[in-house]
Amino acid sequence: MNYTVKTKIMRAFIYFILVILFLMCVVPLWILLVNATRSTPEIQQGVSLIPSKNLLVNWRNLTNRGFNIWRGFFNSALISVSVTVLTVYFSMMFAYAIHVYDFASKKFLYSFIILLVMVPTQVAIIGFYKYMSILNLLNSYIPLIVPAIAAPSSIFFAIQYLESTIVKELIEAARIDGCSELTIFHKIMLPIAKPGAVTMGIFAFVGSWNNFFTPFVLISKMEKYTLPMLVQTLRGDVYRTEYGSIYLGLAVSIIPILIVYILFSRYIVNGIAMGSVKE
Amino acid sequence: MEQVLKKRKHSKINKNYYGYIFTAPFIIGFLLFSLYPLVYTFYLSLTDMTLMSKSYKFIGLGNFKKLFEDRFFIQSFLNTWKIWLINFIPQIGIAMLLAVWFTSTRLKIRFVGFWRTIFYLPNILMPATIAVLFFNLFSYYGPVNQIGVRIGLFKDAVDFFRSSAWTVSIVAFIQWWMWFGTTLIIIMAGMTSISPSFYESAMVDGANSWQMFTKITLPLLRPVLVYILVTSLVGGMQMFDIPYMLTDGRGSPNGSIMTMNILMYMKFSSNKGHIGAAASVGVMIFLVTSISALVIIKLLKEKESKREIKRINRGVEGYELHG
Repeated sequence: MNYTVKTKIMRAFIYFILVILFLMCVVPLWILLVNATRSTPEIQQGVSLIPSKNLLVNWRNLTNRGFNIWRGFFNSALISVSVTVLTVYFSMMFAYAIHVYDFASKKFLYSFIILLVMVPTQVAIIGFYKYMSILNLLNSYIPLIVPAIAAPSSIFFAIQYLESTIVKELIEAARIDGCSELTIFHKIMLPIAKPGAVTMGIFAFVGSWNNFFTPFVLISKMEKYTLPMLVQTLRGDVYRTEYGSIYLGLAVSIIPILIVYILFSRYIVNGIAMGSVKE
Repeated sequence: MEQVLKKRKHSKINKNYYGYIFTAPFIIGFLLFSLYPLVYTFYLSLTDMTLMSKSYKFIGLGNFKKLFEDRFFIQSFLNTWKIWLINFIPQIGIAMLLAVWFTSTRLKIRFVGFWRTIFYLPNILMPATIAVLFFNLFSYYGPVNQIGVRIGLFKDAVDFFRSSAWTVSIVAFIQWWMWFGTTLIIIMAGMTSISPSFYESAMVDGANSWQMFTKITLPLLRPVLVYILVTSLVGGMQMFDIPYMLTDGRGSPNGSIMTMNILMYMKFSSNKGHIGAAASVGVMIFLVTSISALVIIKLLKEKESKREIKRINRGVEGYELHG
């Protein structure tokens, strides 16, 4: 009796904590979305959790002052989709090679990837900037897209994922049927590994979509700005008192990701665990 | 027939060179876009190059000497560690607690999947958006002050971004908010991979839940904890987006949230564009992070092997010495 009472009290306490954490995660975002629909005086009067009717006015205010949201969307989407395709394809290819072929540097490459996951990469940005300026690639998307070929954390994920997915007998059978190695990878491996590819793709996409630092250093032309760079301009003087428009700009920047998350949260949450070291 | 078999076997062995072909794109990409820029950054850190002048000269460790005399660098170094620690300790603590609650068979917490999905949500949002959002939430006329004054939490509205202590706390809070869900999910994955038979036999021996946690869960979770610690450290030492966009991009107020990465960017984007000096900050971040990560891994590994030796000496678990 005493034991069950204790458990019940404990359980109530835990749910209480969970609800508080829930509110901490959700309320700021809810305020953000609601304030996007309210006028500046309304926002200054106080907090509300119920949407108002000022959405269109805020939108006009936002887009009238050089905040070219569609351009930003397009730029970010172009970069992120390209990065996703390159990352998924080449990471899978690398992981496939590690599992299927016996070659001399295999073990070395595998440990090297684990090492690279733990190496800080942003610190080389100065060298990268200078290097790209010599190649005349500043204000180009090439330096933002092409390096996605070599994404250690995605490769690490792919290696872990393929470990339980590869069917060696199938590969052998295809070889006997005369398939080339590349065909086997394309026609047999990639379809089998689709769920893992989707998870990897989501992470690659989100990472690129949210990335601020690299484009911020490399890109200076306004029409080439990515979405995070545009969002950053909302901090500036142009929108000083237009709170409704600022919140709307912020809301627009996170809605695509929120939709992706609602649709794929299961993949994402399971994917995090898979992409980490367990042993 | 024999020849055909031989040929097939031969071609099968030969296929292994595809290992090199399939890993080549990564290797080339890595050399061109990761290794070369890193080496080049090291090289630039030894020069006095600026964006404005065409010529530059090699000045050895001059930039580093200046850095160690630079009050701002020391401050940014301390700030980065401070913000990281203030966010990391509660992050791993709360994640661990939640993971224990969620995996407990006695408590039977419901909707675990739902809670995890919500707690991970902040991590997937754009840091730029989060920074601008929290700037607005904590601004002088913002919602936090509105609510705080109404419910009597503060006497008057607080000017959060004029106070170093408040600003540091807000940055650490945002970092915590963004990462505790990820840490929770990774720890839970580690806990569920521990075999239940360990706990069953401990229960038979009459161990209480605290003993089971410290004697079974924690030791078996060590690799996962090392992974979390190291990856969080690597991210934390490079912290830029949130502190950069939350205030004026120079770590205001009083440089309290100026991280090493912000300092690097400030040197790079200054009027003269001190490429050499900025590169030297980058090199320092690289060295600080790598050395700390190595020390963490080494320390925790050593403990492990010592414990193993003890076990062997006691002969409790029948370890094979030659194994």
